[in-house]
Amino acid sequence: MSEASVIGAGTVVSGHVRGQGSLEILGRVEGDVSVTGNVVIGPEGRVRGNVSGAELTISGQVQGDLRGTLAVLLEPGARVAGDISGPRVGIAPGALARGHVQTDGEPAPAAARAPSAARVATPIARPVIPPARVAPTPAAPPVRAVAPTPAAPPVRAVAPTPAAPPVRVAPTPAAPPVRAVAPTPAAPPVRAVAPTPAAPPARVAPPVPARSEQKAPLPPPPKLAPTRPDAPRAAPTPSQTEFTPVRPIKPEARRPPPPVVPVISKGTKAKKKKSHD
Amino acid sequence: MAGTVIGEGLTIEGDISGDEEIVIHGNLRGRLTTSDAVTVGGTAVVGADITGASLSVAGQVTGDVTASERVDIQAGGRLVGDIKAARFTIADGASFKGNVDMEV
Repeated sequence: MSEASVIGAGTVVSGHVRGQGSLEILGRVEGDVSVTGNVVIGPEGRVRGNVSGAELTISGQVQGDLRGTLAVLLEPGARVAGDISGPRVGIAPGALARGHVQTDGEPAPAAARAPSAARVATPIARPVIPPARVAPTPAAPPVRAVAPTPAAPPVRAVAPTPAAPPVRVAPTPAAPPVRAVAPTPAAPPVRAVAPTPAAPPARVAPPVPARSEQKAPLPPPPKLAPTRPDAPRAAPTPSQTEFTPVRPIKPEARRPPPPVVPVISKGTKAKKKKSHD
Repeated sequence: MAGTVIGEGLTIEGDISGDEEIVIHGNLRGRLTTSDAVTVGGTAVVGADITGASLSVAGQVTGDVTASERVDIQAGGRLVGDIKAARFTIADGASFKGNVDMEV
């Protein structure tokens, strides 16, 4: 009895726990746990700190590294955020693990259980990362498109919301056809996908005036002029003027700066000054 | 069965708080707070202020004790610190050093 230690469900330990014998954690531990015996963390158990012991059986939550000199077993319902290492590592279906998992020691048992652990661990870890990578790319354009709209009420009338979906749809299909396929076949799909909603906003260039209003309220009209010439310059082929709305979608985000810099007001001022001189 | 048991070979450095019975056979350095009974076994070495409903000491305790009900020092027990409890007993063979306040 004296060897077995229990941290009850209603107990919180904030500090380090170490020593000999086995330990069962049904409550909370805010600190490192290091014992020579087995460690059992119950379903309601929570540990914020590194846990080391002979055989770790986790059913609760752990934020920290797990080190088992004999084994680390994650039971269904376990949630571990931290590295896991031990000669035997088992992650049961229904257990969540995020971190580096390493099996070491005896190759025979480790080889048998290592793949299963890796298979279970990776699918859990991957879904977490991909959404983060995928989300930003589609999210970024709509955010840019949406952001300017609040500044310019007339842009809302043009239909800012329809502009957002075509932005998402257009980039992926439009990029391959334009590059790989001849302009003729590419034209119809592009027109079908984006022309009506995308064309007007592209010509009107809603984001440009909106940003221009934020930076400099007066000069929107002069800036509209430079944007139009810039678009054809970027797209050398004259007949592909309709493609420009497709490609500009990405450049639009990058271009705003250039129009601002040339604000042409500088050039005009210089010319005027020279003319005056 | 007690809610929390600190085994003989176990050492806790830090605070323990809870609402259930706590039995200590190992070492504790820090602070112990519970709303239930606290039992310090014969092998325990506790250097902590203890707050609980009751306290039974058979081992060594160094620290102030506040108990809402009672404090008992068993034979062989050793307590150094101030005690604040309504009831307080010292068994024959126990050692104690500190102030006692029974006006709770």
